[in-house]
Amino acid sequence: MNDPLQQLIEAIKVGNRKIAATATQTALDSGSSGKEVLGALSEGMDDVGKRFKANEIFVPEVLVAARAMKKSMELLEPILVKSGIKPEHTLVIGTVKGDLHDIGKNLVAMMMKGANFNVIDLGTNLPAQTILDAAIEHKADLVGLSALLTTTMPAMRETVALMNKEPHPFKIIVGGAPITQDFADDIGADGFAIDAASTVELARTLVTSS
Amino acid sequence: MTGKEILLRALKCEATPRVPWVPFVGVHGGALIGVDAKDYLESTEHIVSGLKASAKRYRPDGLPVVFDLQLEAEVLGCQLAWAQETPPAVISHPLDAGYAIKALPTLSVEKGRLPLALQAIRETKKELGEEIALYGLLTGPLTLALHLRGDDVLLDMFDEEEGVVALLDYCAEIANQMVDAYLDAGIDVIAVVDPMISQIGPSHFTDWVAPRLDEVFSYVRKKGALSSLFVCGNATRNLAAMCATQCDNISVDENVDLAELAKVARAAGKSFGGNLQLTKILLLGDEADAKREVVRCLDQAGDGGGFILAPGCDLPYAVKPENLEAVAALVHDPYLIEVARNLPPKDSTDTFDDIPIPDYAAENQVLVDIVTLDSAGCAPCAYMLKAAQKAADEYGGTIDVREHKITTRDGLAYMAKLGVTAIPSICVDGRERFASIIPQRKELVACYQTAAAAK
Repeated sequence: MNDPLQQLIEAIKVGNRKIAATATQTALDSGSSGKEVLGALSEGMDDVGKRFKANEIFVPEVLVAARAMKKSMELLEPILVKSGIKPEHTLVIGTVKGDLHDIGKNLVAMMMKGANFNVIDLGTNLPAQTILDAAIEHKADLVGLSALLTTTMPAMRETVALMNKEPHPFKIIVGGAPITQDFADDIGADGFAIDAASTVELARTLVTSS
Repeated sequence: MTGKEILLRALKCEATPRVPWVPFVGVHGGALIGVDAKDYLESTEHIVSGLKASAKRYRPDGLPVVFDLQLEAEVLGCQLAWAQETPPAVISHPLDAGYAIKALPTLSVEKGRLPLALQAIRETKKELGEEIALYGLLTGPLTLALHLRGDDVLLDMFDEEEGVVALLDYCAEIANQMVDAYLDAGIDVIAVVDPMISQIGPSHFTDWVAPRLDEVFSYVRKKGALSSLFVCGNATRNLAAMCATQCDNISVDENVDLAELAKVARAAGKSFGGNLQLTKILLLGDEADAKREVVRCLDQAGDGGGFILAPGCDLPYAVKPENLEAVAALVHDPYLIEVARNLPPKDSTDTFDDIPIPDYAAENQVLVDIVTLDSAGCAPCAYMLKAAQKAADEYGGTIDVREHKITTRDGLAYMAKLGVTAIPSICVDGRERFASIIPQRKELVACYQTAAAAK
């Protein structure tokens, strides 16, 4: 396997950050465009997402793949900036007020970065107004809200209600262990995803349809 | 046989007269006595009061004394953030920069909240320990490792193996120190709670976590106590590997198919427990939902014993007590289980138009509808039907007493259209007059006379 782009895809799939970095550098040095390298990264992360969704791999494997992707992005980002290549869509993401648990939100953020979204990660325990302000400031296409605790589900409801008070250009997606499609519909969210990989598919559908 | 004995037998897969029930009361105990989660988890007095209130209302066979997976982490140097309605969350990891395990503070029963937790065990043992088995919950090795090191533990499994091995071994040692402290204080069942297991696959579980869990379970066994492995989250893929550890019992949440667990656990000679839905049913649903949910769990667990009815994880602070009381009622009365089995589905839109009920006001005679499970097989139903008939004989006027069994469509129609609140129930001229309790004959005759006079 001499094609560095193919090597990069495989390195992402198994989460080998050293090979990911070397393959990225080799690909760029041998004339691959930033866009082509980005495509290889997305292909690798898409495969990770599919296997995660199919219960073939689990959180540690996704984290290690995301770490390899990050290594590659460190080399790739200056090239992308220079070429004026920017992600087409922006996701603002965070956990709702009262919820400090972020492993699920972090996974979603990583997978979305891998799918070439501009991800603004606001962190945890966020008041509704903070999320809304950030969505407006960053001209978000999507806002992702996460809750792990049953007790923070009301805060998710309040956050969506505040956002939906006025017309806005972004779609709201929600997720987390206790969240269901019924609950998402009930609180007025635009979408619900059962896991991080499904979030990528949902996000792509929502930004395409809007 | 006390509830405690029933539970301990079930944990050992021995035959029991009924399914035992363990509501995982954590911070919900605070809601029962009107204090928030922080006040509750920082006070022996509150914990004991919350458990006594739970024992009274939920009639459990077992109770966890303190459901807080941050107890050990706090002593070992993790910072906690407190909330009003949840256990605290870990917000800093002392091993963030590397595996300096020797630099961690030593665990001691004198540190952090351990003294108040152990005192709560001793006092609860005195107050409730004869009738109710007490669970001592300790943080499982993987979850404690994540508290101490953060998510990096999961990444380090790929390229910092030595550090992860040392940390997990250390967490198992901490767990065994907790086992000693808990058993000395009077705990009956050691529950190793390791929710992070739901985030890893079988090979990681078998290679990294199972050996450390077995150190704990074999130690508990050596000390003559019983052990349970609690995993909240979707642990389906790890069930077989979990059942291959040396624990006595596996407890899971609603993400796991209980029928599948029953099969795997019984094949491995383990008892198992779960998996009442916490959010949709116990927190947000009503009593009828809770009853249907008990039936779902019992049916999925199937015959064959070794099953403990429990919520999937710790109960939310604001869970509705009446829903848990409904669960308790079914556990203690097999007849109520049969009634619940015949409840119409929640989403039923059936208006029973094919089964008309009489225009009671237009009838010349008094109409008495007894809505039962089936008087042929249900003793309270038979007594109520008989009481209604004898009262009709004594009344002597024109009267018609009819039984409607909810095992039939006719019975369900009458139950729905007359707004029957309990089974069995006596309705006189279309109004529920006696729900569940069989009235005195004199009272019933008077009721018939009043109905006749109103015509």
